[in-house]
Amino acid sequence: MSSILEEIETKIEGLKTSTTKSNVGVVRETGDGVARIEGLSDVMLNEMIEFPNGVFGLALNLEETEVGAILMGDNTLVEEGDEAKTTGRLLSVPVGKALLGRVVNTLGQPLDDKGPIKTEAFYPLEKIAPGVIKRRSVNQPVQTGIMAIDAMIPIGRGQRELIIGDRATGKTTIAIDAIISQARLNKAAEDAKDTNYRPLYCIYVAVGQKNSNVARVLDVLEKEGAMPYTTIISAPASDTATNQYLAPFAGAAMGEWFMDNKMDALIIYDDLSKHAVAYRQVCLVLKRPSGREAYPGDVFYLHSRLLERSARMSDEFGGGSVTALPIIETQAGDVSAYIPTNVISITDGQIYLETDLFYQGVRPAISVGLSVSRVGSAAQIKAIKQVAGKVKLDLAQFRELAAFAQFGSDLDAATRARLDRGQRIVELFKQKLYNPIPVEEQVAVIWAMQNGYLDPVPVERVKEYQLKLQDWLQTRKEGLLRAIREKKELDKDIESQLKAALDEFKTSWR
Amino acid sequence: MKINKEIRRLSREMLRASFTDGQLDPGRISSLVDSLIAKKPRNYIDVLKNYRRLLRLELEKRQAKIETANEVDSATSSELISNLKKKYGSDLTAEFIVNPELLGGMRIRVGSDVWDGTVRNRLERLQQEL
Repeated sequence: MSSILEEIETKIEGLKTSTTKSNVGVVRETGDGVARIEGLSDVMLNEMIEFPNGVFGLALNLEETEVGAILMGDNTLVEEGDEAKTTGRLLSVPVGKALLGRVVNTLGQPLDDKGPIKTEAFYPLEKIAPGVIKRRSVNQPVQTGIMAIDAMIPIGRGQRELIIGDRATGKTTIAIDAIISQARLNKAAEDAKDTNYRPLYCIYVAVGQKNSNVARVLDVLEKEGAMPYTTIISAPASDTATNQYLAPFAGAAMGEWFMDNKMDALIIYDDLSKHAVAYRQVCLVLKRPSGREAYPGDVFYLHSRLLERSARMSDEFGGGSVTALPIIETQAGDVSAYIPTNVISITDGQIYLETDLFYQGVRPAISVGLSVSRVGSAAQIKAIKQVAGKVKLDLAQFRELAAFAQFGSDLDAATRARLDRGQRIVELFKQKLYNPIPVEEQVAVIWAMQNGYLDPVPVERVKEYQLKLQDWLQTRKEGLLRAIREKKELDKDIESQLKAALDEFKTSWR
Repeated sequence: MKINKEIRRLSREMLRASFTDGQLDPGRISSLVDSLIAKKPRNYIDVLKNYRRLLRLELEKRQAKIETANEVDSATSSELISNLKKKYGSDLTAEFIVNPELLGGMRIRVGSDVWDGTVRNRLERLQQEL
């Protein structure tokens, strides 16, 4: 008790002598979540401004005689004539492991009913991305558990891979699959007490989404046991444009804490189209000049500075990483619109999802021709490289021949074989949602396909064959799968074991 | 009020012309206003409104608002004013306001700068700290 009294005493002592100097202004106009303030001659860009009733604002426009600020919190509490004060602080959010398993708003305040979040550190929302000296190229994979991605469009830790497609083509599902896959890998490593494995923590930033969508994502992640490794930042459609604009930056700040502390993080920005729209709204009410499609001139910089914060640090700087999976929603498949082209040019590749494929039943509806990963192949494990090297080429040839073969039934044997192989690859890459496949099983299945084990299986039964094979390998050949997982490459010994196992499976398969 | 570039430029030029030796000159101001009204350029009413606003802000920079809980004696006030003039220039004017809500101490505002040594401010800060 006495220590508390002493503490209060010292605080009072500290206050006694001080006459505070502050810089103030008067609110001249407020509305639409924006205030225009006269005065504030010493205010800095992006500085927090304090209004009466505990409302804070962010100074975005510094003009000759006025300051334009966006308001956070209940903006109806700010009135004309109120006194606003500079704080000398940048907007910061709580960061740390305490946020895992929680749903928070843009300011890091909890939205779930799990009590207050006790964190020790705060990070500013806006931060300059690490420079070239601190970085290294990607060399560790992010196993998404989606066979088509891991085999053909691999993602490395520190990469920025865009997920782009029309509405309802499974963009969010890919992101959630990736989160679930990380959670399973993290848990498996924890259970096995594997200290070499670097866990990948996930941050899902929902911008301008329906609350029901966020609730559904939360529900799936909880059911799949992924929440202990995940933070959800929610700035739904009902939130202010200010909060929607700031939410991805809050996510980046939380991810950077992991990176600075020698850990790895994966951030999903769902989605940056709505983020750009929220920023456009903020800028229009701030009366900033508008450009193409009424977006402000710095909308490219908005996304580039956000995505540039994803990095893989060199070993001298801890070796942490932030991987980003931004999502962009296109309108009627138009990738040449303003925001999609911007984000495509910023990121290190894109996963393009096609509506047509989706309705043909090819799910995930990844368009192999338009999807690329510019840096991820450097991070692929050797085993996947060995088996999947030719898959993309096989599929491309299949698509070309399939279009050609529609006109005639007389095909030579080589063309027929290529078409058959292509059809089987397409079938293999179909995958149920929320069902990531471990990398060793992917290797075994693709190896089986490459070595002709699937050729006698009718196309419509390929999926059934694959699932049974996976089951059989899990129950009967656990040692083989472990060997692939640990060695990370297919040597002669493993190949012969795989061959024997598949021959054995062939006898039991009907 | 929607202000276009031209209005802003003209009113700023008028403000710049309103000074003599770094101090606002009432004679020049009134002659500037008269000549503008006589010439009647485009949007001259908006120019005048904006000029008035700029002048008001300029005057606020040169006016000290001193709030105290009780009446200040003349010796203290003259010392205060001379100290403030040293800091902000000799053309500073001072206005004394008695505000019992401050409970004690003094609050001085010059332009955007505020020095707050009132009891009320200290109590508020203590409340925030605790």
